[in-house]
Amino acid sequence: MISFTLNGETVSTDAPADAPLLWVVRDIFKLKGSKFGCGAGLCGACTMHLDGVAVRTCILPISAAQNKAVTTIEALGDRENPHPLQTAWVEHSVPQCGYCQSGQIMSAAALLATNASPTNEDIDAAMSGNVCRCGTYPRIKAAIHTAAKMQDESLGGES
Amino acid sequence: MMNKTKGPTMLSSQGISRRSLLITAGVVGGGLVVGIPLMSGDEPPPPEMMSEHGGYIPNAFLQITPTNEIHFYQPRAEMGQGVYEGMTTLIAEELDVSPDTIIVHLAPVHPEFKRPGSPAQGTGGSTSMNAHYTHLRQVGANVREAIRQAAAAETGIAAASLIVSDGKVVGNNQEWTYGHFAEAAAKQPLPENAALKSPDEFRFIGTEHNRLDAWAKVTGEAQFGLDVDFPGLYRAVVKRCPVAGGTVKSVNTNAAASSPGVFKVVEIFNGVAVVAEHYWQARKAADLLEVEWYYPELANTSSAELRQQMENALEHDEGLEADKQGEGAAALSQSKQVIEATYWTPYLAHCTMEPMTCTVKIADGNCDVWVGCQVLEVAEGMAAHYSGVPRENVTIHSTFLGGGFGRRLIADYVAEATAIAKASDVPVQLVWSREDDVKHDRYRPVSLVKFSAGLDDNGKIETFVVRNVSPNTGAYFIDDSIEAAFQGTIPWSVGDWLSKRGYWLFENITVNGGVVEGLSGNYPCPNQEVRHATVDPGLPIGYWRAVGHSCNGFFAEGFMDELAHSAGQDPMQYRLENSTHSPRMQTVIKQLAEKSAWGNVAEGRYQGIAAHESFNTPTAQVIEISVDNQTVTIHKITCVVDCGLAVNPDIVRAQMESGIIYGLTAALYGEITLSNGAVEQSNFHDYPMLRMDQTPTIEVHIVDSQEHPTGVGEPGLPPVAPALANAIYTATGQRIRELPLNKAFKFS
Ligand code: FES
Ligand code: FES
Repeated sequence: MISFTLNGETVSTDAPADAPLLWVVRDIFKLKGSKFGCGAGLCGACTMHLDGVAVRTCILPISAAQNKAVTTIEALGDRENPHPLQTAWVEHSVPQCGYCQSGQIMSAAALLATNASPTNEDIDAAMSGNVCRCGTYPRIKAAIHTAAKMQDESLGGES
Repeated sequence: MMNKTKGPTMLSSQGISRRSLLITAGVVGGGLVVGIPLMSGDEPPPPEMMSEHGGYIPNAFLQITPTNEIHFYQPRAEMGQGVYEGMTTLIAEELDVSPDTIIVHLAPVHPEFKRPGSPAQGTGGSTSMNAHYTHLRQVGANVREAIRQAAAAETGIAAASLIVSDGKVVGNNQEWTYGHFAEAAAKQPLPENAALKSPDEFRFIGTEHNRLDAWAKVTGEAQFGLDVDFPGLYRAVVKRCPVAGGTVKSVNTNAAASSPGVFKVVEIFNGVAVVAEHYWQARKAADLLEVEWYYPELANTSSAELRQQMENALEHDEGLEADKQGEGAAALSQSKQVIEATYWTPYLAHCTMEPMTCTVKIADGNCDVWVGCQVLEVAEGMAAHYSGVPRENVTIHSTFLGGGFGRRLIADYVAEATAIAKASDVPVQLVWSREDDVKHDRYRPVSLVKFSAGLDDNGKIETFVVRNVSPNTGAYFIDDSIEAAFQGTIPWSVGDWLSKRGYWLFENITVNGGVVEGLSGNYPCPNQEVRHATVDPGLPIGYWRAVGHSCNGFFAEGFMDELAHSAGQDPMQYRLENSTHSPRMQTVIKQLAEKSAWGNVAEGRYQGIAAHESFNTPTAQVIEISVDNQTVTIHKITCVVDCGLAVNPDIVRAQMESGIIYGLTAALYGEITLSNGAVEQSNFHDYPMLRMDQTPTIEVHIVDSQEHPTGVGEPGLPPVAPALANAIYTATGQRIRELPLNKAFKFS
């Protein structure tokens, strides 16, 4: 039995220790926002946060999540209460087919959590593990800058 | 054309089964007339529509409920290109409501959803906006007029004094909703040719508007094929012959069948499927299968021999004539200067971000299919054939497509999923891995081309001759689709026989347009000849973003650059002088010269240009690079496009960016090779994709135009590779006539 928190809730599963976290989350816990793109850690479509760090869950055995906090796109925000990245993504009309975007946003969220105003180079470094076959990279980059600015303004407003 | 309809127009789903609704729809005369010129008017609107929302259903596209919800059944496949937004904008404009207020549904199979001017409910060829621009506006305008007429009749206020806008009908200082008149509208004939707005009345068309599907796609809510799930659904993976077309000779399933979670191992038409509770269980077990295969002839071919065969054919097989103007090739001997060059491009895989997937449930005489695909009737026919369920009992539930690019025109994955569901007797979701996807695609064909051009004293082109050697995409498309498209109309075996005739047809009788498109035509001249010869080892090929233009743009525009340099002229100027037949292209090139600061770059920077019209959309690009020690840095791509009226300029720009990046991936890295018939590449490590850190600045400019819109999903792609190769020539003097470019240069 492996236990971890999934979007804040404690869950456990008897899936075998080597079952990839991606499929456990998708098919046992029925959260379908995280996607399968390569199964080999090469595209980032499956990106979730493990204790706040972006990880490729298609190759992460469920045993590695034991007693850790797993966060998926579903917990990042929704239409009513969005993460600044989601708002910025919509403003820039980033998604095309949309299939890679959960993973893109989760990678970007991990970046912004540690680097509030990333440079283009920081963004390239953090995001180059995420493939977008529709070629939305220029918009992703612009949206991350916008989100960083939004975050900055809202923090400024609060202080 | 008028279509009498179609049953009741006020329906409530409360307590009524879908079947009884259908029956009701058939027997109760509603007296509603559908006035738009539909393809087929005898079918009731899709049952999904009636059962779920009720209200005024003037046709298969629209539904206005008494509570004033406006539902739109968006007829084209949304694969990233933006039809969800674009088609809705057309409807919204003439209904005079904001696109944000419309509830959009992905359409099931229905005759009214066929693309206007096409026999099928297909999405591809950059056609959607062009085909629906007038059509869907007319649908919207007619329904708005129906609401106006109904309101006039019911309120006694003259129709002309009513304002019908933003979901409200206003007159005599009173206000109602559109939905308030849904019932009354349903009882009246639907106006047929309500006046369309003139462009200066547009509120939404021509403006930038955030994509309507954006929220669903940034929250993880959007449903793709892989996200379909329900209790009792099993996962399936297929082990296929490494060489396409191979079949099972024998199989030892013991280890796989006893692997954890495995429900069944079943043999299907092209391999062995493992059905398990979870995907990873099925995938693990599939690795334990021991299969011996009957190998097809393709197993005798490797890439080096194929290249040799194609070169031999270029030399010895004069092929079929695709086009001849004036004296054709014979005129070459009269030219002062004859320039010749041979170009090559490899096979390519599509690599949609979402690998192929399809979910099938066969129960109670019905077959339900959940899938994202580009031609719905073909998916439907496949499901009917492989399930044994009559076609009318097959239901396709459309999902978003995690990329299409032509790959999902082919319904092989629907056939597989249905065959597995049938053989295993449980509902299954077939999941392809990335390896399955790279190794079992319908590839962009390999192509070898030789140009010969005769120039006059002033360097102007007088004769232009092209010889093309490649397999025929159209033949494979016919083979993949015909029997399914006609399933239920002609016997499968007859359809199958027919579907094989395409190979013979395109090898012996007529040239497959999809392989020669874009080889000539950008710069017409008095004597032209295009010929095609078939060499085909049997690797399945298909339509890949921009189809023939994807490689032919590279060939034609690379060679055009050679001609410009041979003539001693500026490549931009040379293109302008040779394209006077196309005022649209002239404008594009002139704007490009200005926007890219052509010929006016910093020290150490070099530019290349390419201009190519595809899918009726002239597009041209300048790429600015620097080269340091055989390493190329791409600094900037400037793109100018004329797509007529840009319904949503932001989506036009997004599609140009998308085509450019897709094209750049192919130009830099794309190559599928064969070893004894088996594809050698397997995943993103050996079939790389362009990533963010390699993506240059892209600037897109749209020519201001009020003309009927033309497509944008593909035309951004063809100019990329030649503009880059031409820039490399400017910088290094090295002319590259083969892709991918990373064979000759490194890219930073
Ligand atoms: S699916 Fe996990 S990195 Fe591609
Ligand atoms: S939006 Fe389609 S793959 Fe990124």
